[in-house]
Amino acid sequence: MAVFYQGIKEGLLLIMSLDRELIQITLLSLQVSFSALIIAAILGIPLGSVLALKRIPGRKIFLNIIYTLMGLPPVLAGLIVFLFLSNRGPLGQLQLLFTPAAMVIAQVCLALPIVCGLTARAVMAQPQEVYDTAAMLGATRRQAAWTIIKESSLGIVAALTTALGRLMAEVGAVMMVGGNIAGKTRVLTTSIVLETRMGNDSRAIAIGMILLLIAFLTMLIILKLEKRTFKDGGTIQVI
Amino acid sequence: MAALFRLYNVTKRYRSREVLNIRKMEVNKGRIYTILGPNGAGKTTLLRVMSLLTVNDSGRIEVFGEEVSWNKSQLVRLRRHMAMVTQTSFMFKGSVYYNVAYGLKVRKRPEPEQRKIVKECLELMGMSDFADYPAQKLSGGERQKVAIARALAVKPAVLFLDEPTSSLEPNSAMDIEHYIKFINSQYNTTVIMVTHNLFQARRLAEEIFFLWDGKIIEHGSCEDLFTRARDERTRAFLQGNF
Repeated sequence: MAVFYQGIKEGLLLIMSLDRELIQITLLSLQVSFSALIIAAILGIPLGSVLALKRIPGRKIFLNIIYTLMGLPPVLAGLIVFLFLSNRGPLGQLQLLFTPAAMVIAQVCLALPIVCGLTARAVMAQPQEVYDTAAMLGATRRQAAWTIIKESSLGIVAALTTALGRLMAEVGAVMMVGGNIAGKTRVLTTSIVLETRMGNDSRAIAIGMILLLIAFLTMLIILKLEKRTFKDGGTIQVI
Repeated sequence: MAALFRLYNVTKRYRSREVLNIRKMEVNKGRIYTILGPNGAGKTTLLRVMSLLTVNDSGRIEVFGEEVSWNKSQLVRLRRHMAMVTQTSFMFKGSVYYNVAYGLKVRKRPEPEQRKIVKECLELMGMSDFADYPAQKLSGGERQKVAIARALAVKPAVLFLDEPTSSLEPNSAMDIEHYIKFINSQYNTTVIMVTHNLFQARRLAEEIFFLWDGKIIEHGSCEDLFTRARDERTRAFLQGNF
């Protein structure tokens, strides 16, 4: 237990001392995860909505593939991106391997199926009445579809929250394509691995605390946004 | 009198079961129609086909003198002259104002006009104080009033009602009936209503279509049907011997 207390004590000191390296690692973690989340949201929300609303050929197979990819092991995602970006790979000439860009690409691969799959489910869970009501009030197909997506916003926020949780905690893919290079591609999770391997347990715990704190603050903001969006409904009172 | 709807040999099947088979049906402007019949007779299906929410399998449908071809732009154009209120009207997330203004927003009406119309409609339904209230938290009666205000905002030529008072207590139901009559007389809106409530049908309807097993077995004025029904099944239903 002593190592935990020591770690918590050291962690608090480290946070209060505004350690430059730690700030840089934290900022890079946030930058990589949020960039990946934004890209996944831009691609995943429309794709998930289209899959839920349009009767396109192969839709079921495509959805099953996406649901399967929601459980994609991060190391495997990292390996695939690594092979694509390595010198021998088809995108090798871009020289992206061991850069934050490669880490973002790997994380997009992990977040996209989650955002897309959960968005599709949220949209599909809407009752037929949403479309019927919109259509009978004169909405075009596009307007009605947009209304259905808006009605699914609680589920879509849940999709983004889930994806962000996975990205913030992810270590395998970013380690593989980022290389954990100090000052360049080192992020909070890879730092924990490194410090633990080097026997700096208390420093690892300190970094873990920061990671938890970021996760807590991020979720707090999302929940606040959610509450603001859904103050009109979306809460079930169970007595 | 100009017919708003004409249906010829319209059928609809769900899997192998035929739920609708209408040989001929005509609906004229400015009247209140009631579609009566036992459970599973196809009343709601008929309403959905007429409101262009369900595609018929065969036959011909004319709406406002135009044959329905089911293409996207035609559907939107025709539906923009219709509105519907169902048993438990769905309310979008957001305020009562947002819900009532929805039909105007999708028609891209200017904001000041939207505000004016929404205010008028809510006033008419006695719901002015509820404009900012979350629509999904309304009671059943309030919800139906907002649904009627929402329908009224788009000034429909035809108002479809699918058992609009079946989940309401008698006082609220009477209120809704009053508004239905008012809309019909004030705006010359054609009302097509599905109901189980024979008393309500008698109070409101000018004409009744009696549906049985997907077919219209009797059609006539309310008075005729209630006093001189020709078909034995209609008589049995209207006398409650069913």
